[in-house]
Amino acid sequence: MQAGISPQDSFTELPAAGVRLRMAETRGSIIVSGKIAIVGAGPSGCYLAQALLKSRPDLQVDLIDALPVPFGLARYGVAADHQGTKAVTRQFSRIFERQGARFFGNLRIGRDVPLEQLRAAYDATVLAAGLSADRRLNIPGEDLPGVHGSAKLTRALNEHPQAVSLPDLGSHPVILGNGNVALDLLRLMCKTPAELDGSDLGPGPTAWLAANRIERLTIVGRSPAAHAKFDPVMVRELGKLSNVSIEVEKFAPSDDPDTQKRQQALTDIDGHGEGPVRVVFRFGLQPTAIEGVDRVTGLAVEGTGGRDVIKATSIITAIGFASAGDLGREALLSGGALPDGKLDDGLYGAGWFRHGPRGTIAQSRSDAQATAAMILKELSIDPARVGNEIFAGLPELIDFAGWQRIDAAEQALAAPSRCRRKFTSTDDLLHAARQRD
Amino acid sequence: MKICVLYGTETGNAEMLADDIETALSDDHQVDCANLCDVDPADLGKETFHVIVCSTYGDGELPESARPFAQSLEQNRPDLSGISFAVFGLGDAEYAETFTHGSIRLADLLKACGATQIGERMTHDASGDDMPEDLALPWITEVLATFSEQSKEV
Repeated sequence: MQAGISPQDSFTELPAAGVRLRMAETRGSIIVSGKIAIVGAGPSGCYLAQALLKSRPDLQVDLIDALPVPFGLARYGVAADHQGTKAVTRQFSRIFERQGARFFGNLRIGRDVPLEQLRAAYDATVLAAGLSADRRLNIPGEDLPGVHGSAKLTRALNEHPQAVSLPDLGSHPVILGNGNVALDLLRLMCKTPAELDGSDLGPGPTAWLAANRIERLTIVGRSPAAHAKFDPVMVRELGKLSNVSIEVEKFAPSDDPDTQKRQQALTDIDGHGEGPVRVVFRFGLQPTAIEGVDRVTGLAVEGTGGRDVIKATSIITAIGFASAGDLGREALLSGGALPDGKLDDGLYGAGWFRHGPRGTIAQSRSDAQATAAMILKELSIDPARVGNEIFAGLPELIDFAGWQRIDAAEQALAAPSRCRRKFTSTDDLLHAARQRD
Repeated sequence: MKICVLYGTETGNAEMLADDIETALSDDHQVDCANLCDVDPADLGKETFHVIVCSTYGDGELPESARPFAQSLEQNRPDLSGISFAVFGLGDAEYAETFTHGSIRLADLLKACGATQIGERMTHDASGDDMPEDLALPWITEVLATFSEQSKEV
């Protein structure tokens, strides 16, 4: 579908006058009208492109990503053993294969192209770049060796090209946080090699998990159990682990039906298993300090029962994500984004970039539909805007066909018990994208 | 034949499959496709064959877009005798206890209101190796053949 569209096709040179006359751009039988750039090709960006093109197939929607590969958290955030959830990428592929969206990978807005230049080249620009940093606890000891953010750890487990190496967690890791990210990490850390069959967990992380010698894994919630953010289904999933023995601290029952469901799931897994890894759920504990001299030795907490220090050989904070400072997010949001994501004239925010690190893939879909409606209502099309021509001359941009070559190579390289073997560095990804039969 | 493909979706996967079924049947039939959230069960027609495509969300619940439809079936109990339908369920067998429960629930509610289910309910496992359309397209062809046979016999 992308064949035939290149910067050259849309221009005719008139050397005499030195004036460039723009010809109508086409995509198949469709005459392209407006041009929309989406920065970030993760679930929010993809759903937005899908919704825009469903209403207006005549738009040219360009999805731009700093990585050479699309799909953001669907590839690098969703856990390796949740392939059913990752299946949403099949839907996203169709946006490129059938709806005519284009992918521009390995292109970082703000470094390779200034945001202002991008905005000038497109009729509308949407920032859907997510949030990549770990939220800080702001307590003493937070920077001690042995304290790890869940975003960093998740990227390492998912073999993100900018991942740090996987740390030694020791015998008594503590996970701080009561959301699904915390549960993903807990579950993976407890799985036996056989329980990882069918996943796309890479050889490095697989060896790392096998080498872990966890005796006791404590998961600490700052709020009472009633306010935990776990999905009940993810709590129940822990009840299938063979290597654990689970203990859930007693909590006060709630009157709220949704909370009761979650609490029921917690009650159901209490006492599960007789495995060597002891998993302990604790609630309502405010962390006051991370203890240790050269490295973490404990997490000091304050609860209704007073002060306590939980022994910790490592601490994983899973308390949410924050901006890494990309794209001037703070300044853009300082006035407060409008409900459907408008940040400025012709500039919109979507997904976590706009509303913070809450919400599932499904919620990003309904969000995207609302934002798409808002963009289409306001869209003012100027045929003089040049769109992707501003990327001309940038080296090593990866288009969707390039991603398809990476994808095919990764699937072909998969070990028998895996569905994929990811290339782990940007160089290897770029190399795979360049390979043609 | 007049066919209406109705989908209940949360992440869009069921909608994608509904689109595929619509496309595949369009050559030989008059096919519409609609989101269940835009359909009132009382408006289902006897002259139309309904293909329901429904996912499952959370702990075996109906997906968001199927909930108003299910609620209307439950509360208003419309008389759906003479209405024919087939059901395809999407799910993730990693969650075995609740696998494709959304589609089971919808089929049960339709039958409780008097509608007739044609053929067996078919399912797709998102954690498996099959593509949903590879299972759904042969299935719906067979279901429609069964339905035509049954219609002749009446």
